[in-house]
Amino acid sequence: MFIPLSEIGRAGRQGNPSPLTALTLSAQPRLPQVHLFDTELGPHILAVDGTRIYKVGSEVAALLARGLEARDSEQVNALLTRLGLDTAPYITDEPLAPPPVRALSLAIAQKCNLGCTYCYADGGSFGTLPKQMSLETALAAVDLLFKDAIRDERVNLTFLGGEPMSNRPVVRAATLHAHRRAQETGANLSLSITTNGTLLTPEDGDFFEEHGFAVTISLDGVGKSHDAQRPFKNGRGSYDRIIERVRPILAQQRKMQVSARVTVTPRNLDLPAVLEHFIELGFHSVGFSPMLSSPTGQGEMQGGDLAVMLDQMIAAGQEFERNVVAGRRYPFLNMVNAMREIHRGTHRPYPCGAGAGYMGVSAEGDLSACHRFVENEAGAMGSLATGVDLQRQGQWLAARHVHRQEPCRSCWARYMCGGGCHHEVIQRGRPACDYIRGWLHYCLQAYIRLAETRPEYFGYPAARA
Amino acid sequence: MEGVDPKNLSAQLAYRGVGNPPSSHPDTCISNAFPGLEMDFRNAWKRIFVGIEIHEASNYVVKVDDDVDDDVRVLANGYLLVSVDGEPVEVSVTGPQVPGGPIMPLPDTAFNDPKMPIERSNALANVIHQKAGKEVRCVFRLAPQPGGALPANEDDRIEVMLRVRPFFATGLDADGNPHKLAVINRDIAEPGQLSESLCSPWQNDYRECGCYYWAASRPDFVNVESRPDGTSTGHNWMQRDRTPTTPKVYIVDDRKDPRLVTYDELFEDWEGKLRFEISGRDAE
Repeated sequence: MFIPLSEIGRAGRQGNPSPLTALTLSAQPRLPQVHLFDTELGPHILAVDGTRIYKVGSEVAALLARGLEARDSEQVNALLTRLGLDTAPYITDEPLAPPPVRALSLAIAQKCNLGCTYCYADGGSFGTLPKQMSLETALAAVDLLFKDAIRDERVNLTFLGGEPMSNRPVVRAATLHAHRRAQETGANLSLSITTNGTLLTPEDGDFFEEHGFAVTISLDGVGKSHDAQRPFKNGRGSYDRIIERVRPILAQQRKMQVSARVTVTPRNLDLPAVLEHFIELGFHSVGFSPMLSSPTGQGEMQGGDLAVMLDQMIAAGQEFERNVVAGRRYPFLNMVNAMREIHRGTHRPYPCGAGAGYMGVSAEGDLSACHRFVENEAGAMGSLATGVDLQRQGQWLAARHVHRQEPCRSCWARYMCGGGCHHEVIQRGRPACDYIRGWLHYCLQAYIRLAETRPEYFGYPAARA
Repeated sequence: MEGVDPKNLSAQLAYRGVGNPPSSHPDTCISNAFPGLEMDFRNAWKRIFVGIEIHEASNYVVKVDDDVDDDVRVLANGYLLVSVDGEPVEVSVTGPQVPGGPIMPLPDTAFNDPKMPIERSNALANVIHQKAGKEVRCVFRLAPQPGGALPANEDDRIEVMLRVRPFFATGLDADGNPHKLAVINRDIAEPGQLSESLCSPWQNDYRECGCYYWAASRPDFVNVESRPDGTSTGHNWMQRDRTPTTPKVYIVDDRKDPRLVTYDELFEDWEGKLRFEISGRDAE
């Protein structure tokens, strides 16, 4: 059933499911090889392997709908073959061979001045004593990053924590060292930092601008809504202080890009208003991510919360669509990324590069699958002193392949989603599948609309007037 | 049945028109880029510089446009492209002539020229990426004469500025700025040019090439039988006499060997001489 967008978010008429429920039903997994979705421009299918999207006629759509409802894999495969859509597999069971590490995040300070209610790092120190990364460790991490790097190879260095700016001298020294190594090797360095913003100075802005940093500020809402989740350790609100520190840096943006990242809990679900406010403040982009796993369970999203979030995300997505159609930039990051990936047909057997080309480094120089697995044995990957533990890395890549995940193997969204954040899945499981599928179903529909009305957005020649 | 309309890039790349065989798709076709059964990709480079046309397999200037200046017109008198924007497009090839032999220059047989053209997708990658639509300095040298006579003055080089034709087509992004598409620019080839110089496999190229080139569609060793010691015996597909009673001795390819079919025989009766091979055996 096709639900007009204007209906989503409204209560269902008597006896009918609400439009949002109907969308979630349409997005349910039926068969793993294909997903059928309807739009104002007619029915379309997603051929799951290769993330290939085709418009189909009503006759094909009806046949496919019957096959999907009956879970008749044989019939659906025969139909795909008749349509010429059967191909050699794009993604096989073969795990990724361990690639060289070309992205590292340094837990440059395993301590923090905020006391966020849901922090995966448990107040910044990952459940251990607070500590700072030494200069020696940071430089050794940079050397690992550039080991055997070649000209034009992409290399990314990220500073995380705790709060990385509480160890500013090491952030600066590691950046300069990375810059030198990039010049020596000819590799293409990108730098990023995720900070709570409370300690930023105008000089930091100069430094980030000079080196073209991607700066991410964690902000969970406007004013009190943010303060309720991200107070200082003494309980005082942090929002005013952050905005005071960040505003001048937003005005400095030329090479650097300053973005806002919003962690969504049941207490800050008013997403379109937050998005609008932060875009107006001048953030380069604004992205939302649901809180799915916290050490204490506090702030974790449950099924009902995720349904509300989906409704809010779609409302924000519709605003994105309106702006793009009008030719205006609207940096709603989740939507920008979804449109780019759907357009390319991005398909992947993992959700991210964690434990592959990307790793985290703890303050003491231990390697882990990503910044979230610092001090966590489940994602341990060796150390700077002994190098990447190739055996553990190989086991990780084999075990984390989406073909080894349940219920992912039978889900149409598996190559767009990749199976979900490893850390959240290992800690809590997969509570957000309906939310992810609902969001991707909406994004597929939005892609079809925008490719028709605003083809220039995707680099195609403009539509004829 | 209704067809389907591919919408995103991965669907477009994988798309096969209704009724077309699998071999019509680049990743399953036999073209092998050149000479090709479906298209000859080398032809996409012939018109990369405005005003001249270069040979698909060498750096030889084949012709110049009617309206070019005199300093470009002279390139039609037997010149070879040497470098573009400071990057060489030819390289000296050296190696042993026989296994274990001394390393020496390896000239081509037609011109006795020890320099060979470099594959263009690599040699011109920076130029098409950074200099599309712009003029670049191109250096040419006089080509050796057929048979290997070197030009009177080997150092006679010509430098001209030539405009690079954009290799990729252009779209517009959301702000109306030009944006490179993953599509070959329409101007890069004249109609029909991409499918010039294709193979004629049955008549020519099956005779010309070994099975290593036609792995999917050209058998080599046919009517094979295993022997108790683990070795095998059979016929060369190009062997004229392949009856069930013909002794199974593989005849090593040599176009002068009268036991093997000739080009003329293939032109006249390729289907009779080659026959279909089913499960590795000559079909009746």
